[in-house]
Amino acid sequence: MSHISKIELVIQSLEDLKEACRQLGFEFMENQKTYKWYGRWVGDTPLPEGVKIEDIGKCDHAIRVPGCTYEVGIIRRGDHYILLWDYYSEGGLVQKIGLNAGILKQAYTVARVRKEARQKGYRIRVKKIDQGVRLVLSV
Amino acid sequence: MKEIVIDISSDGEIRIETKGFKGKACLEESEFLKNLLGKETYKQLTPAYYNTNKKKVKKYLQLCG
Repeated sequence: MSHISKIELVIQSLEDLKEACRQLGFEFMENQKTYKWYGRWVGDTPLPEGVKIEDIGKCDHAIRVPGCTYEVGIIRRGDHYILLWDYYSEGGLVQKIGLNAGILKQAYTVARVRKEARQKGYRIRVKKIDQGVRLVLSV
Repeated sequence: MKEIVIDISSDGEIRIETKGFKGKACLEESEFLKNLLGKETYKQLTPAYYNTNKKKVKKYLQLCG
């Protein structure tokens, strides 16, 4: 063993986010400027950093998830993207994209690493583990 | 065998572990993943990190004479 790191995901690639949506059966809505949510801010959770109340519901692209009435908004922030979505149970998103959009972020990470690692000539194995997914890159 | 293991939990947490590397090679080899995925929030070097291929030089004290 040599070292262990923990990474906080920053979404930088729209192409890999599209691939994640394809893998999960979600629909990527290119240039959709609003996303569906409860429609009124009730103040029950803190707003994400840099997001104002008037920003909620607006986006650069959106993700439509089958079986959900609400959608995920994709907002460009300089060289990266953030996801905004309403996790009120009526919208159905938590069950499909996971707490903190973890399932979507997981699929994005797999898509992103797979593509880049393949280009760099690594051998890639993907397996399910109890807590999620494991990618093993062999040199 | 040299491997980079990436665990992605269902809540989106990413953990990278390098195996079989000696010295700083592990950091260099996994650097592209950190740039690809985001910000490193935690790093722990393991004993193998300090293990390089340099020969150890043993020094002895002359005890008599």
